[in-house]
Amino acid sequence: MPDFAIRVSSAGKKFSKSLKDMMFYGAKDIVLGSFALGDESSLLRRGEFWAVDDVSFELKRGESVGIIGPNGSGKTTLLRMLNGIFMPDKGTIEVNGKVGGLIHVGAGFHPMLSGRENIYVNGAILGMSRKEIDRKFSSIVDFADIGDFLDSPVKQYSSGMYVRLGFSVAVHSDPDILLVDEVLAVGDRDFSLKCYQKMKEIRERGTSIVLVSHNEYVIRERTEKCLYLEGGKPKAFGPSDEMISLYIKDGLLKKAANRPSAPYEGKAQKPRRAEILSVRFLSSDGTEVRGLSSGEDFRAEIRFRATEAVVEPFFSVNFYTDRGLVYAANSAYEKVAFDTIAPGDGKLTLHLPRLDIPTETYYVSVIIGEGRECYALDAQHFAYTFIVERATNARGLLKLPTAWKME
Amino acid sequence: MRHERYEPNRMLKKGIKAWGPMVVELWEARELASRLFMRNLAARYKQAFLGFLWAVIVPFVAIGTFIFLNRMGIVNIGKTDVPYPLFALLGLSAYQLFSTGITASCGALVEAGDMIAKVNFPREVLVIAAIAQAVFELLIKMALIAAVCIYYQYLPPVMALMAVAALLPLLVLTMGLGLILSLANAVVRDTAQAVGILMTFLMFLTPVLYPAVGPRAFWLRVNPLTALIEGPRDLFIYGSLRHPTAFWVVSSAALLILLCAWRVFHLVETKVPERL
Repeated sequence: MPDFAIRVSSAGKKFSKSLKDMMFYGAKDIVLGSFALGDESSLLRRGEFWAVDDVSFELKRGESVGIIGPNGSGKTTLLRMLNGIFMPDKGTIEVNGKVGGLIHVGAGFHPMLSGRENIYVNGAILGMSRKEIDRKFSSIVDFADIGDFLDSPVKQYSSGMYVRLGFSVAVHSDPDILLVDEVLAVGDRDFSLKCYQKMKEIRERGTSIVLVSHNEYVIRERTEKCLYLEGGKPKAFGPSDEMISLYIKDGLLKKAANRPSAPYEGKAQKPRRAEILSVRFLSSDGTEVRGLSSGEDFRAEIRFRATEAVVEPFFSVNFYTDRGLVYAANSAYEKVAFDTIAPGDGKLTLHLPRLDIPTETYYVSVIIGEGRECYALDAQHFAYTFIVERATNARGLLKLPTAWKME
Repeated sequence: MRHERYEPNRMLKKGIKAWGPMVVELWEARELASRLFMRNLAARYKQAFLGFLWAVIVPFVAIGTFIFLNRMGIVNIGKTDVPYPLFALLGLSAYQLFSTGITASCGALVEAGDMIAKVNFPREVLVIAAIAQAVFELLIKMALIAAVCIYYQYLPPVMALMAVAALLPLLVLTMGLGLILSLANAVVRDTAQAVGILMTFLMFLTPVLYPAVGPRAFWLRVNPLTALIEGPRDLFIYGSLRHPTAFWVVSSAALLILLCAWRVFHLVETKVPERL
């Protein structure tokens, strides 16, 4: 018996860009396919492109693999190919075991039918027999936790309830390989947690998992290996931590390339009274870095220029993620009184002996301002990016100083 | 443990060996097909007052219209050997098995587009479930036929029971064409429009609501559907096939069409999900 769950060898899938081409090629393929008259699958015809191109990887039994990459890099297409929905146009995909997809939960749910009826329909679509569903019915209902709504038509369900019921049926279909596509983003906190618990439980039973997610925590926590796709092509395949870092770095480089060197240049504005010239992030030994590990010594070096005197100056360095402000070092809040800045160039260093913020990619805003009302003279919003990486020997997102005492 | 190997044109590469897995897949999918059929049925009549009655309202309206047109002298139905409403109902029940089945299967893949693009299951169950709908309506019409027989105090010959079996070739043809049309419609949506129009006019070009007698009979027999509609009706009325050769020839052709269609469906169904 082969020891792999999934083996993908130079698989590719092509799509057409326009609907008209798609119709034409579709009709042509059907006619050619029906009479077995030649095959154009590995050819790229006009208007077609490879959505997934030359991807190869192997997933051992019981392993988990993540698929990451920017939008439109072919993650979902690849997942559907693994599920046998899309046939590869070139290469081969071998799958050992029953595949269960959490690509689209609640497939085949009919809005007019009750949750109870839909459990049977959905279960049948996922390959469960009536007896099997009968046996698991109460477990499915318990997990979905939709209360009295079991006998209401699902069109009366909230979107969260819909997903819960769909997810519940899907995880009860006992797949050998589970394909998960970002579905867990829906549903409330409790349910998300429950889903991850359930996935862990399924893992422990020896199920292999393929997970597509933009959530780096989930990828780090739930997968050992990761496939990094870009533009349909595999960019790298390896340990998840490394792949995530690579992915984030690539994103940063791209951002850096697109970023104008001076954010406010070109705007017709009267000269600022003070402006930020440059910001550098430094490690403890003074070398410039793009990122550090959580808990390490951190310095930000801000060079600025004042054209007039700045009375009661303040500085602020703010760390944002896509969910909002995580931490702000703000001299005004901290009641740090600087002397009036005389016209000319200056340099300020912010020193954090321990950068105790969670593993994440941060957008950093740097602000120079004056006065008690905190009037900003130059605010460079989200102009810099900084990566906090997972510290070695750390579990979770932070590494905090600890003291253990046995009593 | 299941082992699947996905590659371009994998069904083609299997050649003659593909038939085994096709039969197995169909057998394994029987539960899903019945489940989907029940789902469609339950959903269809859930928010409706008349529900199942709609299956008998259409024949009433069509037959009533024809009786009216005949009395007005606009059409000439000709003489029938059983009361006309019974005759027309027999024809219409058979024809609607075909037309409802074709129309429903034509839209089967497209309506389930989302599901097809996201879940892997044997796609032909959608067509089977669609045609089961037509069969179900036929069963309702059979009750109506019985009622009409009682009303006219008409006792059909014993062989009339064979009429049900004689509907099988029509069902086979419906299934064959349905499989192909469902695929065609998935790629080019004009199919459903064209089929809708065709089904309406085909009814008038087939001896459904009128007998194939006199000079028109020759031309009507060019239409292969004629044999499959008349066959069951002849059995019901006369207890025997009046045109057995035509019936068996067309039936064999229907079986051939189904086998080809089933194979083609498997060859090209993989090209469909991305086009829905």
